[in-house]
Amino acid sequence: MKKMKNLFAVFSVISCLGFLIPGSASAEDHTIGALFPLSGPNATYGDVFMSGSDLAVDHINADKMLSGPMSIAYEDSQGLPQPAVVGMTKLVNVTNVPYVLSAFTGVSKAISTLGTRNEVVAVNGGGVGPDLAALGEYFWNVIPLVNLEVRAVMPYLIKEKGIKRVVLIYIDDPFGNSILEELEATLKDSGGELVETMSVPTTAQQFSGIAAKVRAAKPDAVYIASYGAQQIQIVKQLRDNGVDQQLVTYSGYLVPDALALPETEGIITTGQGVNYKSDDPVTKRFVTDYKAKYDRDPTAYNVNYYNATLLYAILAQALEAEGKEVTGANLLAKRQEMGSFDLVGGTVSFQSNGTLLFPIQVKVVKNGKPEVIDTIDFGK
Amino acid sequence: MLALQLTITGLQTGALYALTAVGFSLIFGSTRIFHFAHGATFIIAAYLFYFVNVSGYGLILGIIAATAGAIIFGLLLNRFVYVPIQRDEGSFFTVFVASFGIGIVVQNVIGMVFGRGYVTVQTPLSFSVELMDGLYVSPLAWISMICAAIFFGILWCFLKYSQMGKALRALSDNPELVRVFGLNPRFISACAFTIGSILVVPAAIISGATSGLNPAMGHHVMLISLAATIVGGIGSVAGTLLAGLALGLAESLALLYVDSQWTEAVTFAILFLFIIVRPSGLLGRSSAH
Repeated sequence: MKKMKNLFAVFSVISCLGFLIPGSASAEDHTIGALFPLSGPNATYGDVFMSGSDLAVDHINADKMLSGPMSIAYEDSQGLPQPAVVGMTKLVNVTNVPYVLSAFTGVSKAISTLGTRNEVVAVNGGGVGPDLAALGEYFWNVIPLVNLEVRAVMPYLIKEKGIKRVVLIYIDDPFGNSILEELEATLKDSGGELVETMSVPTTAQQFSGIAAKVRAAKPDAVYIASYGAQQIQIVKQLRDNGVDQQLVTYSGYLVPDALALPETEGIITTGQGVNYKSDDPVTKRFVTDYKAKYDRDPTAYNVNYYNATLLYAILAQALEAEGKEVTGANLLAKRQEMGSFDLVGGTVSFQSNGTLLFPIQVKVVKNGKPEVIDTIDFGK
Repeated sequence: MLALQLTITGLQTGALYALTAVGFSLIFGSTRIFHFAHGATFIIAAYLFYFVNVSGYGLILGIIAATAGAIIFGLLLNRFVYVPIQRDEGSFFTVFVASFGIGIVVQNVIGMVFGRGYVTVQTPLSFSVELMDGLYVSPLAWISMICAAIFFGILWCFLKYSQMGKALRALSDNPELVRVFGLNPRFISACAFTIGSILVVPAAIISGATSGLNPAMGHHVMLISLAATIVGGIGSVAGTLLAGLALGLAESLALLYVDSQWTEAVTFAILFLFIIVRPSGLLGRSSAH
C-alpha cells in the first residue's frame, strides 16, 4: 500500500512538472494568441477579426502545413489597454505563445512592450494609429496605417469634390489624436481648412449637441475618427440631427453593423486596396471559402487576420523544415530572411518598420456596399 | 440659436436620464437595495422592443414585450437574488456585488442572443425637422419630454394618494413600523421593483431609436442614474427627476463653454460638487449621526 502511495506521489509530481515547464507540451502543437474585443462596445470587431483568423487556421490544418494541429487562444481585450495587458500577460506567461494577433491602437501600444521584453511577436491587423509603425521589431502591421488613409482621401476630396472646410470629430485617445495631427498637416498642404475639431470621450453616447455645433460651423465635410459602436452612433445622430454635409471616415467604419445603417448611405471611407478578383491561388481560395463559410463578402479586416495567421504558418513551416524551434526570435529572423510572402492580395513584403504597404482605396457607400472611386498607390 | 438648440437637446437627454434614474431612485429609496442591475433592465427592455419591432409585430406589441420583460426581470431578481441574500443577513456590499454580477451576465446573454454589435430601431420619428433657421428638433425629442411628464405625473399621484404609494414611502422611512401596521414589506418591495422597472421602459425604447443599442451600454445608463440619484437626494423621487433633467441640460449646454470632451465630465463635476457642498442632494433630507 505504501509503495502504491509513493508511486502515485512520484506520478503526480511528474505530471505537475510536465504542466509547469514551458514548452514541455507536445512540440507538434502550434498555438498562437489573439487579443480581440469580444465584449463591450467594440465587440462587433471581434467577430469580424475572428472570421479571418479562424478561416486561416482551417486552411493551415487542412493543408497540414505544420507538424501538428494549429489553434488560436483568444483573450478578450475589450478593445481597451488594461484588459489587453492582462490577456497578453496570460498568453505570454501561461499559454507560452510565440506569436499574438493584436488589434486597436491603444491595445497594441499597451502590449508591445510585453511582446518585446518576452520576444513574442505581436501582429496588428486592425489598429491604424500611425504610432504603430514605431513599436519595435517584434511588432508588425499587416494593415496600412491611418496616416496613409488621410493622405489619400483629403487631396481627393479637395480636388474632385471641391471640399475646403472640414470639421473633425475624434475620439479622445491616442488613435483620435493621431488623426487630428495628420488631418491638420494634410489639409494645410492640400489647401483645405480644419474649421472646428471636437473630441469626444470614449464612453460618450449622445451626440445631438455635437451635431448642433457641427451645423453652426457650416463645413463642407465632417471627418469622423472613432471606432466601434460609438462611430456608428455619431454617424446616425449627425444625420438624424440635420447634418447633411459629406461625411468622411476611415477603414474602421467598414463593418457589417455600420453598412447596414441607412444613415451610412453616401459616406466616403478609405481602406486598403485588395484585389479580390485576383487570380493568385491564395486570394482565390480565401474569397471562395470565406463566402462559403460565412455567407458574405470578405472585408479588409478579414483579409488582414487571415494574412497574419497564414504568415505565422509560413514562417513556422520554414523553421520546422530547418529543424529550428518556433520562437518569437526565430520567427522575426525568418521574416527578415524571407523578405516577401504570398498572402491574400498577392506577393507582399514588409517595410523596414515592420509594416506592410498596400494601395489605399477611396470608397463611397452605395446601397449598403462600398464602391471604389479612386486608388492611391503610395509605393509607386 | 445654438443655445436654444442645445437647451432643447439637453431637455431631451435629461428627460431620458430622469426616467431611468427615477426608477433606480424609487427602488433604492424604498428597499435600500443597490439595484445596479437597473442598467440590465434597461438593456432587456430595449432589446425586446427592438426584437419585436424588427420581427414585424409592430409598436404596441413591442412596448408590451419590453414592459413585460422589464417587470419580470425586476421581480425575479428581487425574489431569487435580493430576498435570499437579505434573509441571510447579507450586507449592502453583498447585494451590490450580486447585482453587479447579474448586470454582467445579462450583458453577455444579450450579446449571445442578439449579437454583440450595434443595432438601432429604425423610425422616421428620429429624423429632426427644421423648426426655424438653425433649430432642428426630432419628434422623438417631444415624445421624450411628454413621456417624462406623463410618467412622473402618474408616479407623483400614485405615491401621494394611493395606499400602496404611502406604503412605499413608509417602507423607506421605517420597515419595522410597516410590519407593525400589518403590511407585507416583501410585497411592497415587489411593487417598488415593478414600478421602477416600468419607468425605465420609455427611456430604453427611445434610446434604441435615437442613439442605438449595444449590449454594453447598461453600465453607462447606471452611472448616469447613480449620479442623478445622488445629486437629487437619495430616496427623493422629485429630486432625482430634477437632477436627471439638470444633468442632461448641463451636459448639453457645456458645449457652449468647454471643449466637447469635457461634457461628460461636467456630469461628474456636478456630482462631486454636491457630495462636497450638499451631500444630502437637491431635495434629500439631511441626517445627523
